[in-house]
Amino acid sequence: MTPGWLLLIAGVGLVTGIFSAFKSPRAWLAVTLVGAVAAFAAAVWMLASGAVWDWQPDFVIGGEMLHLQLDGISAFFLVLLSVLGGAGTLYSSEYWNDKNHPASAPPGRAWWNGLLLNMGFVLLCANGLHFLIVWEIFTVCAYFLVSLERQRREARAAGWLYLAASHVAMICLFAFFALLAARTGSWELGPMREHSGLASLFWLALVGFGIKAGIFPLHIWLPSAHANAPSHVSAIMSGMAIKMGIYGLVRFTGWLPAPDSAGWVVATLGVISAVLGVAFALGQHDLKRLLAYHSVENIGIILIGLGFAMIAASHGNPVWGQLALAGALLHVWNHGLFKALLFLGAGSVLHATGTREMSRLGGLWRAMPWTASLFALGATAITGLPPLNGFVSEWLIYLGLFDAVSAHGPAAYAAICAAVFLGVTGALALACFVKVCGVVFLGLPRGKIAEHVHECGWRMRLPMLVLGAACVAIGLAPILFWPALATAAATWQPALAGANILPSAPLVALGAFHLALAALVILAAIFLWRRVQCNGVSRAGTWDCGYAAPTPRMQYTAGSFAGIITGWFAWILRPEQHAHLPKEIFPARSDFAEHTPETVLESVIEPAGSLVMRVSAAVRRLQHGRVQSYIFYLLLGLAALAILAVMGGAK
Amino acid sequence: MTIALDIFLRLAVWLLLAPLLPGIINKVKAWVAGRRGPPVLQLYFDLAKLWRKGVVLSTAVSPMHILGPAMAWVAIIAAALLLPVGPAGASLSFRGDALLFVYLLAFARFCIALAALDTGSAFEGMGVAREVSYAVLAEAAIITALLTLCVQSGSVSLATMLAPSAGAGAALLAAGLFGVLLAENCRVPFDDPNTHLELTMIHEVMVLDHSGPPLAAILHGASLKLLIFAVLLTEAVLPLGKLSLLQAIGALVALVFVVAIVIGLVESLLARLAFRRVPLLLTTAFLFCLFALLVAWKGGMP
Repeated sequence: MTPGWLLLIAGVGLVTGIFSAFKSPRAWLAVTLVGAVAAFAAAVWMLASGAVWDWQPDFVIGGEMLHLQLDGISAFFLVLLSVLGGAGTLYSSEYWNDKNHPASAPPGRAWWNGLLLNMGFVLLCANGLHFLIVWEIFTVCAYFLVSLERQRREARAAGWLYLAASHVAMICLFAFFALLAARTGSWELGPMREHSGLASLFWLALVGFGIKAGIFPLHIWLPSAHANAPSHVSAIMSGMAIKMGIYGLVRFTGWLPAPDSAGWVVATLGVISAVLGVAFALGQHDLKRLLAYHSVENIGIILIGLGFAMIAASHGNPVWGQLALAGALLHVWNHGLFKALLFLGAGSVLHATGTREMSRLGGLWRAMPWTASLFALGATAITGLPPLNGFVSEWLIYLGLFDAVSAHGPAAYAAICAAVFLGVTGALALACFVKVCGVVFLGLPRGKIAEHVHECGWRMRLPMLVLGAACVAIGLAPILFWPALATAAATWQPALAGANILPSAPLVALGAFHLALAALVILAAIFLWRRVQCNGVSRAGTWDCGYAAPTPRMQYTAGSFAGIITGWFAWILRPEQHAHLPKEIFPARSDFAEHTPETVLESVIEPAGSLVMRVSAAVRRLQHGRVQSYIFYLLLGLAALAILAVMGGAK
Repeated sequence: MTIALDIFLRLAVWLLLAPLLPGIINKVKAWVAGRRGPPVLQLYFDLAKLWRKGVVLSTAVSPMHILGPAMAWVAIIAAALLLPVGPAGASLSFRGDALLFVYLLAFARFCIALAALDTGSAFEGMGVAREVSYAVLAEAAIITALLTLCVQSGSVSLATMLAPSAGAGAALLAAGLFGVLLAENCRVPFDDPNTHLELTMIHEVMVLDHSGPPLAAILHGASLKLLIFAVLLTEAVLPLGKLSLLQAIGALVALVFVVAIVIGLVESLLARLAFRRVPLLLTTAFLFCLFALLVAWKGGMP
């Protein structure tokens, strides 16, 4: 079967899913999964064979001929979409079922299929007009999924913010595609690198796709949308929907010429997003909001790689640029996999406890061993630690940066900064995920909520297992995934076709080392475990410095854990503190609360918005409906014109 | 076959020599204070005793409390195997292993931190929070040090990065790496390995609730990490790759011994810093590494 037929099966499966979503959840599950598998097969087919699938039927939509194309870059992103789509579909069939959510589950399934279908079409469309249409539908589907729990005020507000931000992005994209069509004379998309007049359009694309991707100052919609959406939706939003922004940037930096400064700007934005994303994550107490800020961080890491690849592309494609590009592309997959895994794990926690507030959880490993272990696996991966996949992509980016430094080339100074900040980001992410795993899963339950929890069922566990296995596979055998990277890189820059980075990035050696490390870690763990059992174990309470009545509330909280680092970043985090400190000899009740707001939204966008509203309100006083005043305005206007005419006549 | 033998021999040397370093440091401290002090081999006795002892586990802990130390220990050993020994090179070496080295140590930190948080104690929470926070600055310094070595040698593999002389910036790099060594191994002035006040410690407070074989794994891993940093510091400064094997090993042993004595003197003569000053000191270490990088950069300009 050719990719065309497989894609047809995928499309038919997803469309049938929309119709069966309301009547039969089982049929919906079956056809949607078949669709995801078919799309996966088509994408893998393309990446393995390297043959571009191109389909131009005599079929006109909106006055433009339909043109679908599955090339290296689309297939690369389609693999991730189908894996995350399939995993989320199975997960949601238990997580958001008809029993618990009778009102919102059926439309949720329909919007879900709409989202997957239209993201797939965005990847396939090779016509600017159709790209805009499916992009808008995908945005709207995501809006309805984010605000699926419409009875909650926060969910409505998050959906509204997402919709508003997405449409600011949409305006930029309208301008981008319309100017592109005007300057080339056609809506058809394709390689046009020699058309140097198009370079300035890059900035429109950067803002439009950047808002979708959640680049640092443009990320304002992202935390609340990811936190308030149902968890399978958060997983696909964070794993895939924001990657559509990256797809757009990769796609159009590959097809269009870019201004000389583009790579520098992208890399700088990447560094800012990476460091500040993780700094904001450290300040959060809400599990899903924290994970959302890590998306900003990881988008930053991807952009560092992409930015340096773009710099390299304008300097004759040295090897360090190829390494950075390979790292960025692999990080797209990796972040999709482990972030979806973490959001699904957070969903299991939310499902079992009903709260996202980390400081009310604790000790969940007892009741939820599967979720806890898989979440810990995802945390190790996202922190970029060997032997998992996160390290492989960060390692490739590091190699690119180090080589750029030792080449003494034009990008060397920037590469020094980027490498140091990438190291800092890694260490901050480690601090953050130690905090999350420790506070949520280890220790003792902090409140009543965490005492009566249950492990999730197999339909929620299996998707997490699949995503975890994918993280392990990329970590232990990265060389198997190199052909896919090479195909995508060659599509981005035809000059890179046949380029081989393996001599400068020995993925085989790294994979072998990871494999040995994983085996030894397991062996040592078993060995120590048996030694402990053999020596004998006695149980006692945790050492509390002799204090007579310890309670679980004395455990370190998420806020106190991150206090040192959030103190360093207080200049941007601007945490709000409410403290009633103990006073006098017999202190009364005292308390302390700290909250990290979304600074860019609350200190920049909202004041700017309210200024616009105030100015508008002031101007509106002129418009009050009294006829006499309007006649007065007319007279004033006429008088002004008369004066102008007289003065003009005097000349 | 020879590779397996090579790895095995080096592993034996690393594992057996590591506990010697804390013994030397303690001897120096005792000598400065005018005491006789514990024997140099004290840590060996402690480890042997701990390995045979039963374990007291907190009622709160998960299996991570035992698995974490084992995983961290393996990661530290793996990092040791990436370090070259003079002209003999490293037993495992490939392009980019320098970054793997840094991230293996981070993995060890991650495992120990989780094992510590497992007890639910606020003391461990404080220790872990300090450890992971200060590691952020130490990471910046060590990445900068690696960039310096990379600029000097044009390589990203530890075996070739550490072979040539450190050049003009050697003293700066040594100062920076020595700061990182003290911070990463929780020595004075960042932390006091001897104090009994849980509130003022980093590393020791993280292992308060460990006992028996897991504690042995942690202590041995910590001594190995100290040796790794001492060897890294020595090799980053001395051009060991240009000497013959025997000379190189002699120089390496001598300088590691000097590093241990200096650590002992620092611990005897300095007080532990207030915690709010620790970031300043680590930033100074980072700046030393950064200036070393600039010197290497200018020196390498054609």
